[in-house]
Amino acid sequence: MCLGIESTAHTFGASLVDSQDRIVTNVNSTYRPPLGVGIHPRKASEHLATVADEIVRTALSGPDGSSVDPDVIAYAAGPGLGPCLRIGATVGRALSSFLKKPLVPVHHGVAHLDIAMSSSKARDPLAVLVSGGHTSILVHIGRRWRVYGETQDITLGNLLDMFAREARLPSPGGLSVGIEAKKGQTLIKLPYTVKGNDVAYSGLLTAAATALRRQGNLADLCFSLQETAFSMLSEAVERSLVQTRRSEVLLAGGVAASPRLREMIGLVALDHGASFHPVPIEYSGDCGAQIACSGRLAFESGITVKTSDSFVTPRWRMDEVDVPWIPRT
Amino acid sequence: MDTSNLTSTPLHRGAEADLSISTVGPWKIVVKRRVRKEYRHPSLDEQIRHERTISEASIIHQAKKAGAKVPSIIGLDLENHAIVMTHLDGRVARECLDNLGINGARKLLRSIGEQIGLLHTAGIVHGDLTTSNVIMSPSGAPFIVDFGMSRRSVEPEDRGVDLHLLQRSIVASHTQNPSSMMNAMIRGYEQTAGEKVASDTWRKAREIARRGRYFAIR
Repeated sequence: MCLGIESTAHTFGASLVDSQDRIVTNVNSTYRPPLGVGIHPRKASEHLATVADEIVRTALSGPDGSSVDPDVIAYAAGPGLGPCLRIGATVGRALSSFLKKPLVPVHHGVAHLDIAMSSSKARDPLAVLVSGGHTSILVHIGRRWRVYGETQDITLGNLLDMFAREARLPSPGGLSVGIEAKKGQTLIKLPYTVKGNDVAYSGLLTAAATALRRQGNLADLCFSLQETAFSMLSEAVERSLVQTRRSEVLLAGGVAASPRLREMIGLVALDHGASFHPVPIEYSGDCGAQIACSGRLAFESGITVKTSDSFVTPRWRMDEVDVPWIPRT
Repeated sequence: MDTSNLTSTPLHRGAEADLSISTVGPWKIVVKRRVRKEYRHPSLDEQIRHERTISEASIIHQAKKAGAKVPSIIGLDLENHAIVMTHLDGRVARECLDNLGINGARKLLRSIGEQIGLLHTAGIVHGDLTTSNVIMSPSGAPFIVDFGMSRRSVEPEDRGVDLHLLQRSIVASHTQNPSSMMNAMIRGYEQTAGEKVASDTWRKAREIARRGRYFAIR
């Protein structure tokens, strides 16, 4: 049994994954900022510290109420908000030294891909990771994920969250914008920026937010923002897919919960004869299960860390992590 | 011009466009048609294909006027988002570079450098410069093709990306002495872009490579 602890931003999560890669428990609590306000790192970390004890306790209790002792403790070591990362890392270190079990550092973005791959049959896909922290198109070569394309400024999750904040729609922004978008009819022209396999979203955010302040129709703007942002990503994915000639496309991360994005990336895959593997909705957003899943794979590859070396890394690129367990068998 | 009734044979399928070969009068032509993307909203799709077709044709034409070896634009079919251009006989540099021997390869790279210098001097950056987008004519002269990602820019950053992408494709696909080939390329680039631009652009290209945003993949 591997216990995974997620605490990179707004969510504290704990989860048990068994040696067969089955998710046994997955308990999460997410900090929701007030309307019109973003996530304040300190306030989020206070929330995480408050719920940590209860979440871990619940994740470790079996169906009959007895407590399970995990064999491995995995914690999200980065990337993320420093104050939040330190909560999960502290819990992880404490459990590891108290239970005398090995401690495994996990990269949150790699974990998003791992749980998506565990849930599907993808072996060696072109991976599309879309969340508040990442917007990247990746392929696995050698021992690492390589960034084939990515955002040059803000992420897709940022874009949707920041627009939702301007529009005073509730968090998570992607969900709120998606609901409003359904009522939209007219496609408003917004900046569309694709540079090779990269995208840039900041101009799009500025234009959409400006239009909103000028009394633009909210539903139409949400609709147009979503169509434009997702089309840009889909085009970059299509280019990468043609260049890398992969036969599988994986879609992971919080924004992967969007039905419209799933539809679009699915169409790109279909058009090029690749199979499409979107992460199940319940594991798309940040959760303990992704850390447990990735931590188990890392532990099996011999990756552990001494408590005294168990730092957190708020800035940590996907291509700086050794991921020897891919391609999956 | 209307390309919908042309009989043509498919040549290549890219990410955003299909290429096919046909004939108009005595000329062998290539039709580059930007295809409809199912995933895109119809009006956004229409707008993107329309704007890019015009922009690409216009940039190819400007490159031609600047004296660069590029296809000649024969016409536009905006109804079908197609560019009609002259067909180039020859082979893709990516496939023949390794058979030229080191001296032949250096000679070709030098000519490629001259062509890029002409484009940059004319204020054009290619945006997708790889050995797959260079066609070597039977006389050995390189033609630059596929201006689908091109833009007008004189920024050292954008110019540097061109040289960096070319270097990446040479390092990744051609094993024999890539640094000697790049030196020859820079020599040619200097000829047409001037020493100042050449040294600035090359410095930028090395800086971009170090940023690690782009990787040697193939």
